[in-house]
Formats: sequence, structure tokens, C-alpha cells
Amino acid sequence: MIVCIAVVGHQNNPLYIQSFTEADDALKLHHIVHCSLDVVDERVNNPKKSGPMLNETFLGLLYPTENYKVYGYLTNTKVKFILVTTDLDVRDADVRNFFRRFHSAYLDAVSNPFHVPGKKITSKTFAERVSNIVKSVSFHTTG
Amino acid sequence: MEHYPEELRTPPVTLVCIVGHQDLHATISTHLHSEQPPINTLALPDFTKISIIDKSPKENDNQLPSAYTSSGIIKRDWLLKHRTRVPAVVAALFDADQLSGDPAQWLQVCTDLENLKAVIKGRNIKLVVVVVVRFNSKDSITEDSLASLRKRAEVDAKYVITFIPDDASELNQSLNRLGNIFGELAVTFYRDEGRRVKTRLEKKSYGSIEFNVRYCFKVAIYAEFRRDWAEALRMYEDGYHALREMIGTSTRLPPIQRLVEIKMVAEQFHFKISTLLLHGGKVVEAIKWFRQHNASYKKLTGPTEINFFHWEWLARQFLVFAELLETTNATISSPASTVADRTSSDWEFRPAYYYQLAAQYLKEKKSCVEIAVSMMPAETDESCDSIVPSLYVGQYARLLDLGETSVMQLITDEDYTLFALTEEGKKLGDSTEIIALLKKAYEAYNNLKFQRAASFCTLLMAKEYFLTSDYTNSKQHFDKLTSLYRQEGWVTLLWEVLGYLRECSRKLSSAQDFISYSLEMSALPISSISSLQEMKDCGPAGSPSLKQVENIHKEVFAIVREETLNEEGENMGGIEVNSDHPLHLEIDLVSPLRVVLLTSVAFHEQIVKPQAPTSITLSLLSQLPSPVEIDQLEIQFNQSECNFIIVNAQRRESSSISHIHPDRRVETVPVIQLFTNKWLRLTYDIKSVNSGKLECTYVIARIGPHFSISCGAESPANMHDLPLWKFEERLEASPTKDPAIAFSGMKVTQVEEPDPQVDLILGSTGPALVGENFLLPVTLTSKGHSVESGELKINLVDTRGVGLLSPRETEHTSSSDNLHVELLGVLCDPTQDNNDGIRKVQQSFGLVSVPFLNVGDSWSCNLEIQWHRPKPIMLYVSLGYSPSSGAPKVHIHKSLQIEGKTPVVISHRLMLPFRRDPLLLSRLKRSPESGQTVSLPVNETSILVVNATNCTEVPLKLLSMSISEDDATQKNKAKTTCTIQSGIDNDPTLLVPGEEFKKVFTVKPELNASKLNLGSVCLRWRRDHESSKEVVTKQSLPDVNLESPPLVITLECPPHGVLGEPFTYFARIHNQTKLLQEVKFSLSDSQSFVLSGPHNDTTFVLPLSEYILSYKLVPLSSGSLQLPRVTITSVRYSAGFQPTTAASTIFIFPSKPQFLSEPEKKSIPADQAPQQITA
Repeated sequence: MIVCIAVVGHQNNPLYIQSFTEADDALKLHHIVHCSLDVVDERVNNPKKSGPMLNETFLGLLYPTENYKVYGYLTNTKVKFILVTTDLDVRDADVRNFFRRFHSAYLDAVSNPFHVPGKKITSKTFAERVSNIVKSVSFHTTG
Repeated sequence: MEHYPEELRTPPVTLVCIVGHQDLHATISTHLHSEQPPINTLALPDFTKISIIDKSPKENDNQLPSAYTSSGIIKRDWLLKHRTRVPAVVAALFDADQLSGDPAQWLQVCTDLENLKAVIKGRNIKLVVVVVVRFNSKDSITEDSLASLRKRAEVDAKYVITFIPDDASELNQSLNRLGNIFGELAVTFYRDEGRRVKTRLEKKSYGSIEFNVRYCFKVAIYAEFRRDWAEALRMYEDGYHALREMIGTSTRLPPIQRLVEIKMVAEQFHFKISTLLLHGGKVVEAIKWFRQHNASYKKLTGPTEINFFHWEWLARQFLVFAELLETTNATISSPASTVADRTSSDWEFRPAYYYQLAAQYLKEKKSCVEIAVSMMPAETDESCDSIVPSLYVGQYARLLDLGETSVMQLITDEDYTLFALTEEGKKLGDSTEIIALLKKAYEAYNNLKFQRAASFCTLLMAKEYFLTSDYTNSKQHFDKLTSLYRQEGWVTLLWEVLGYLRECSRKLSSAQDFISYSLEMSALPISSISSLQEMKDCGPAGSPSLKQVENIHKEVFAIVREETLNEEGENMGGIEVNSDHPLHLEIDLVSPLRVVLLTSVAFHEQIVKPQAPTSITLSLLSQLPSPVEIDQLEIQFNQSECNFIIVNAQRRESSSISHIHPDRRVETVPVIQLFTNKWLRLTYDIKSVNSGKLECTYVIARIGPHFSISCGAESPANMHDLPLWKFEERLEASPTKDPAIAFSGMKVTQVEEPDPQVDLILGSTGPALVGENFLLPVTLTSKGHSVESGELKINLVDTRGVGLLSPRETEHTSSSDNLHVELLGVLCDPTQDNNDGIRKVQQSFGLVSVPFLNVGDSWSCNLEIQWHRPKPIMLYVSLGYSPSSGAPKVHIHKSLQIEGKTPVVISHRLMLPFRRDPLLLSRLKRSPESGQTVSLPVNETSILVVNATNCTEVPLKLLSMSISEDDATQKNKAKTTCTIQSGIDNDPTLLVPGEEFKKVFTVKPELNASKLNLGSVCLRWRRDHESSKEVVTKQSLPDVNLESPPLVITLECPPHGVLGEPFTYFARIHNQTKLLQEVKFSLSDSQSFVLSGPHNDTTFVLPLSEYILSYKLVPLSSGSLQLPRVTITSVRYSAGFQPTTAASTIFIFPSKPQFLSEPEKKSIPADQAPQQITA
């Protein structure tokens, strides 16, 4: 189950962060998202995996915690998407697929002429769309 | 890792035993220890001590129930025993004398050997017999005695060796021999032992599963003894898996103790496996193994009363693994191998990750301990004291003291739980340990430049400190976090940290910090996140919400307004602001409190006149959730005379008016209230007093009687975004209504100087002339200001701006001569008193003080400037003065361009005398363009004509022209080398522009030098008006060459003739050499004359004598006529001579002319007539 999804801006500032847990442990998830930015930074600054990874937006598994897995995605405008899930056995393809759908939702949200780039995303439509995507995705295919 | 006994942590080392010959023990054991692989030595001084390697007789001391002996998994001291007490090989050392000498001694040897054999038999320990022989008696030992010894010892021949201790090389050999035999036998021993146990395993001939595990452990240890790591690893893994299966199945012990035992044993297995994997460089496998280990045991928490043990155990697994990973330097290169393995990430290769999790589990344990302790029965049972670790790893038993002997007794789970909890109480606090772990994780993350993860560890540390009521440390750690969270705009995280900080400040009774943190918290952009669900674990501040923010806001303002609080006021914890504890906050450009109060100050004009009023707009912005009323605003400038105060009319009584300086301007407004995110704009007129910069520095807001916020003023033009709020969608208004000011307004304005009311006039009289002292009048006239402490600065600057030195000349010399234009001085009117004035004049710069001038007075001076070269310059004159004493200076600047011109151009010409031509040999050879230098004949009079042309635009008066000798020539040659005579000294002549003045000098070189310096022309002149001074212009003449001509030809004829009257025409050839000169001459006829004389011949001129060609001529026509041309050729010098047309022209009057002053005129030709002809 996806428990948290975040959009992080250029200055590593949260543009949108939403958790989907019943338990009210959102703060913990915020910490996890924040810590995972270290790994994103490291991957971006030391692109040791050349070749096919060069133009890859999907960053893969960032950060394993005891109960969560954190995946990252970096858009061409260097906006980061962070996904926290409780499913410990997930196929990369599913995560990629999720991020692709999320990315297009994000694009629509920031294309709104009333949205100022670099500011938080407050659109309700976006929030609804994201929660729909999250609900529709299940990572249980492998296990 | 230090949790584990030493024998477990280090790989096992072979143990051997040596008996007898105590003097050699140190040598042997040192050698064996340095062997590769090393061998430890158990040295027994004599054969009576060998019983210690026998099967431990003490084992039977502690009587245990029979069920118990077989019920442990691994004996606690088994490994230690094998590492320190059970050798693989025993070496018996005998002296050679004992063998060959006395039968009693031989008997003793036999007895010792028998005893030894009896002891080692049960353990299959290998035996080596060593015979110690002296070097000099090494041959004394016989084969027979060795054979009998071998027989006695029942060993192979190769295990009976000799040892020679008293010769260096022999000793070395003996030691090596010993080492090799020991190594070989030890491997055999451990292999045999391992095989023996393994057979049992393979046959499954063990009673219970415990034996399976135990045998695996033993085989693995034996394998490790002989360094067979692969086998050891395999056996450990087998044992580990067998152990894991025991969890559900075994019923041997009460459940809690069973689980504890299994975990303890699993821990040892796991440690061995991890160590072997990591030391073998298989980092990925080790991590996988660890993950598996963690997964299989994590859920086995056990019953709640003892689950703290589980968490501690789990924390230890992580800690030990982190330490192992850290000590394995392979970690650095490992992440590269993970690409293929998508399930693990780089983080799992970092010890920091494990440290952090260890801390997390330890925290879990801490809370479990707290729960367990709270549930523990109040009365403490004495029986706990007698519980000790039992024979097996992970087991505990009660030691019953039965007088002389003691008995181990099994205990119940309840007893065990109680015991574990009591033990826990005796230990040090977990918090210290948690903080130490987090610190390790923090440092490790920091080294990796993972600042956010490191910050998270800091946060956990700070929280741990907070829990232990160490508020100082806690606050220090929380403080480190705020900057990162502020910078990256993580409001929720910042909220949590600030909440803790606020609480720490409250606990530490720091009003300043408490109010700062509270204000910052209440100005956070909470609205955007408050729509989210409630959050827990947000620390003392609670979940971020608008209501919470407003509460904090209210609380702070209640404190600073010193309002009587309701019953909740007790919770303030001693935070108060009053006359004893006034509070002053400063907000600068980088302060996080800018969101609380942001002040922007803009002058409407960038440049203002002094005393003229200008407008200033003061804008205040606050992001606090509720409206804030300010009692009083004080605006401070760098010129404190401009400071003013704005008072809130509604709060007049509460704002302490006593703060106000009596001279200060006070403005009153009905109300000063700041609404959330809404600029409060106030515009006032302000008058500057002094010229220069006027800058608004601070705006101080006073709220309540003892609280003030001093806020650094910011310019709207370069105001930074508000931190945190810049990421929010909000209405961003400009600080001023006028968009132009909002865009470019500054908090600084420039106050101009008052307009000068003094005239500064530079009188100009046209171009200056090189050489003269050019006077430039400067006049000051005061029109409205009196001039006090005035200063006149004069600067001469090249119009091209490169200074007054030409670059090339500065390279050569640096003397002042090179200055083209020089300021010589400033001449003040002598009638005016200026003696005490400062006067500083340098070559291109001057500073003159101006005396005090009243309004209407004037003062003047003349600048004296001299040009050395023609050059245009700029003259800058600036006057600085104070209109009244102490007032700021006023400056006037004037400039003038002045041309410098050459006044006269001097040229000269050298000529030979008329009709007298010395033969100058240098002229014959001279190529067309060769010398500029002119040659002059020695002892002959030449003529020098000097021209001076006025090339200015003003008439000049020429006073005199003369030729003076140069200084250099006077020094070198004291004697005059030539005489230069001039014509009559004429009166001063006026030279109008363009006119030329000529003067003729005669030059007669008298010395026979090759070069002659003619000196220089010295021209004295002045401008054509009375006041101007005389100027001397000098121009040196070029050097001339001197030659003594070998021949001089002089033509002589009367100045004019009369038609029909005969006259004589001579051509004299004077030989000045001491040689005979052959001369050819010829005469061409002329139609105008009838002549008589030699026509064409060759003749010889005697040395130092003269030859005269003389002709008688009768003119046949009148007018200007050509005399017959005489051509003379010197054979010796191949030089021909022909007189010039001018020299051979004569005027013939048609009849005898009538001259007015005939006698005078006639005397001239008479003078010039040759008189030395006779010679």
C-alpha cells in the first residue's frame, strides 16, 4: 500500500506531500521523505551508473527502512517525486507505471495558469487525482 | 562486539603444550607465536603439572539433575577450554644426560612418559619427544638411546627430535623443526577431532536436536582451528538452521528460557557467520545473511513481560553488524556490485543505517523495560540474587549453596523474568547508550554527506535528551536542525523542532528564546498543512493547526503585554517580561523572525537637498495569525537628528513615553495594527540636516511596556523573499503603493551639499609660451557665504589623462626635468595677509589655504606655471570651504584647458666667406646623404647666420641674441677653441607674429681639433607688455667638424667695374701644406671681356706659399656680367674648383658712378685688398 507521496522542489522544499495512512503518523513519513532526499542528491551528483541510466527519470529504490520502501523519480525540471510504500516486495515496472501516471497529473496541475512555479501545489483537483491514482494502484502483483 | 567473550571474537589459534626444561619455554613459545599461522603455547614447568590438561575433574563438582546435563546446546566454557587448556600436541622435553647417564634418571624419564601418555590418551592428543643436547656433545647421543626412548613414548621416529639450544644456527634449525612438527600434528589432531564429531552427525547418532547444533558448532570450531573457513562456514550455517528449527519443537525448558537460550546461541552462530563472510570479502552475502537473520528472529518477541530482552537482543544484532561492517574496509568498494541486486540499496552497505536501527530498537527496549518495571511486583525476591549463568550458553540456574558444595537448580520462567528485570535495573541507563549509537550514526552519515539523515539522527538524539530532562543538551541539538528545515521549507518538521525548543526554553526559563521560538512558530505557514489529518508525535507543540498557532500567539502576547493571566498562567513556567526582565529582540536580514515583523523603508527621492523635506514610506508586514497592535514605533537613522517616533493613540498610556527623548519628533496615529500578510504603510515627511548619506537603520516596535523588537530596515528594491512563505501561494503585495518605489526604492538617500555661493574665476590669457612663467589669475568672490577654512586645490593633468610625464622619459630618468609642465608656485597678493596659510606646492599639485572671507569680499592669487615642452594641459581648481564654522564643507570645481606653445623657432646656417674657398677634403668624399655635421676650415673665418621666427600669435619683444658656450665645453676645454664675433648688439626689436629676425656671426676656429662645439644660441625675449618678465630661450647649435684645408683659393676682383676701364682679376692658390702641389688651371673666354693672362697650364705651388694667377680685364659691355671662368684642379687631391656663378659675377657701370660718401666706400675694398701677395 502506498502510504505517502511527495513532490519536492528545487530547493528540496516540499511542494506537495500527502500521506494515506489510517494511523496518524504523517510526521514520521515526512521524516522519511526528507531523509530520502539525501539519496536523490547522491544519485544526481554521482551518476556512476552511466549509459542507460543517463536519461532515466526513475531513480529506483532509494532507502529501505524497516517497514517501508522509498522510491524516487526525477523530472527533467529537477522536481523530485518520492513514494513511500509498505509493500516490501514490489516490481520496478509497477512503480514506474505509477510514477508515469503521477507525473502526468503533476504536469496538468502545474500547467494551470494560476499556479506559480516553485510554489506549493494547492489544487484540489490534483489532490483528488492523486488519491485516485494511489487507490487504483496495487503493488501486490508479485506477492 | 565487546559483548562477546574474547575467544568468540577472534579466530581460534592452535594450542600446543611443552613440558620440562623450563629454561627453553620462553624461546620456544615466542618462536611458535611468530609462526605463520601462529601457535599458542601452554608451557608446563614440569611433569607434575600435566594433570591440568586432563579431563576436567571439577566438572563433577556441581551436581546437577541428570536431565540438565544433556539439555544445554553449547557449553559456555567449551571454546575457552579448547583455546587455553586442551592442546593439540604435547611436547616432552628431556635432557640428553637423562637418557644416557644414570639409570635412575632414565627410570624417571620413563615414569614421566607413562604419566603423560595416560593423560593424553583420552583426548587423542599427539605426543612429541624432544631431546635437548648441548652443541659440543651432540654426537654423544646414540641411536640406541633414541630408539629406546621412541619405544617408550610409542611415537614415530620423526616425532623424536633433538634440540640444540646453545648454537645460534642450530637453535634456529631446531625451532623450525619443532614448529613444523607442531603445525603438522595440530592439523592432524583437529582434523581427527572434527571427523570424529562429524561422523556422529552423519550417522545422526545423537539423542536430541541440541546435540546436532552442538556438534555443528564443534566441527566448525575445529575447522576454524585448521583454517578451513569454507567448512567452518558450512557447519555454522547448518547449526544455525538446525537451531532455527528448534524454536517450535523443543519442549525441554520453560518457553521463555528456551527462547532466550536459542537467541543467545543463534547470536553466536550469526556472529561467526557474519565475521567469516565479511572477512572473506563477501559483503553482499553478509548483508543478505543479516537480512535473513533479522527477518527470521524479528517477530519472535516472546511474551510481553520479557520482550525488552528481545529488543535489546535485536539492537545488539544491528550494533554488532554495524561494527563488523565498519571494520571491514571492503565496504567502500561494495556498492558497485549491487547494481544487479535490485532488492538491496546502497544504504544497507552503510554502518550508519545499522547504528540508527540499533538505536531505534534500543529505544523500543527502553519503553518495554518501563512497562515491564511498572508491572513488576513491588516486593523484591531474595531468590534473584542466587541466580547465576549456568553451564550452557544462554541458560541461567539457581546456585544453591549446600555448605561445602553448591548445586545448580533449574528455575521457573517467573524467576527468570524477575531476574532479568532486576539485572536490567542494575545496568546503566539506556538513554546514554541510545545517544551514543545515534551519535555514531550521525557521524557516519555526516561523513557520507547525508546531511538530512544526519539531521534526523540529531533529532532523535535531541528527543532522547529531552526525555531524560537534559534540556540544555536537547536545546543545543534541536537548534542545529532549525537552519536546515527552514532553508528547505519543511514546515512540519520545523514545527516539531520549534515545539521542542520552545519547551526547552520554558524549562530553562529563557524568556528571550521562549518568545522568539513562540513568535516564529506562530508565524509559520501552517494554513497549508493544517488541512491535513492530525499528526501524532509532534512533540510538546501538538499537531500543527491554525488553532494551535493562535493559541501560541495569544500566549506570547499575553506575556509581553503583562496581562494578568487566567489559571493557565501557572503553566508559563516562570516566563515573564516585566521591569526586572525587559526583553529586546533583534531581527536582522537573516533572522528567522523576519516572518514576524518585516520592515521596509523607502525614500521617495534618491537625492535630496539639505533642509528640504522629502517623503519616506515605512511599511510593516507580519505573518502572525492574529492582528498585532504595536504601541510605539521608533524609526532610527544614521543621522540621529532625523529619528522620530510614531505613537499609537489608543495605547498612549501603556507605551512608556519615558523612552522618548524630549527633542524627538513624535507623530501620533489613531492605531498601529498589523493584519496577517497585509502591509501597513505609513508615509512621513523628513528633513535632513547634514549632507551625505541618510540611511534608515532600524525600526523599533514596542509592544507592552517592556518588550521591543528592533528590526533592521530593508530597502524594497532589494528585499529578499520571506523564508518558508516564499513557497506558499499567497497574495504578495508590494510594500509601497507606488510601484516605482516598490521596485527601486532604497532605505538610503543621498543628501547633497548646499549650493556654493562663492564664485571661483580662472582668468585666462590665451596660450602659454614654453619657457615663460605663465601666470594664471584665480579669483574668489563671495556672494552669499562667508568662506571659512577654505582650501584651494590645484591639479595639472595631461589632457590625454596620462599625467604630465611622457612614458618614455620616465623610463630613462626620474629627475624633475622631465616634467613637461610644472606648477612653480602660487603668488598671493602681498597686501593680503596669508602668512599662516597652508601652502603645499608639488610639480603638478598644489594646496593653498584661503583666508577668511566675509560676504562680498574677494581674494585672488596667481598660479605660476611653467611649460618645458609645448603641450596642452587641463587645470583643475577646486575650492572647499565651510559657510560657517563647523558647518560641512561646500565644494566648487573649475577647470580650464591651456595650450603651451613654442614662442620662437631658431634656425641657423654656416657659410664660407665670399670668393674664398678652402679645399675641404671631407667634402670630396662625402656621399650624398652622409653627414649632417658640417666641416669648417681651421683658421679661416666662416659666417654663421641665426634666424629666430616668432611663431606665436602675440608680438614678442626680442631683447638680445647671443651665442654662449655650453657648460660642458667650458668644463672640458678651458681655452677657447674659436672666436665667435657678432655684429653690433642691436636694440630690442619687436617681432610681430610670423616675422623673422636674423643675426650674423663670424666664426674662426683657432685650434686644430677635429670637432668644434659652437655653443648655444641664447635668446632673451619677453611679451610685448610692461608687466611681463624677460625669458631666456636657449638652443644649442650642432657640433661642426674642423679641417685644415690643404689649399685655399681666393678670387679677387673689384666690387664693380666701369665700361671700358680695365681692372685686375686675381686667383690666388695658397698651399698650406708642406708638400709641393701640382695645380692645373684653365680659363674659359667670355664675350663681355677682353682679357690678358695665362690661359691654360700646369704649375706647382711651393709648400706654404702662394701662387697667383693674375688677369687684366677690360669690360666690353655693361650690366651684370660673367667673369671668365677659372677652373683649377689639384692633381694630388683630384679636386677641381670652379667658382660659383654668384662669385664670378660683376656689375659693370656704363660710366663711372657718383657715390655720395666716396671715401668711406673706397676704404672697404682697400681693406680687403690682398696684402700678403708678396709672400
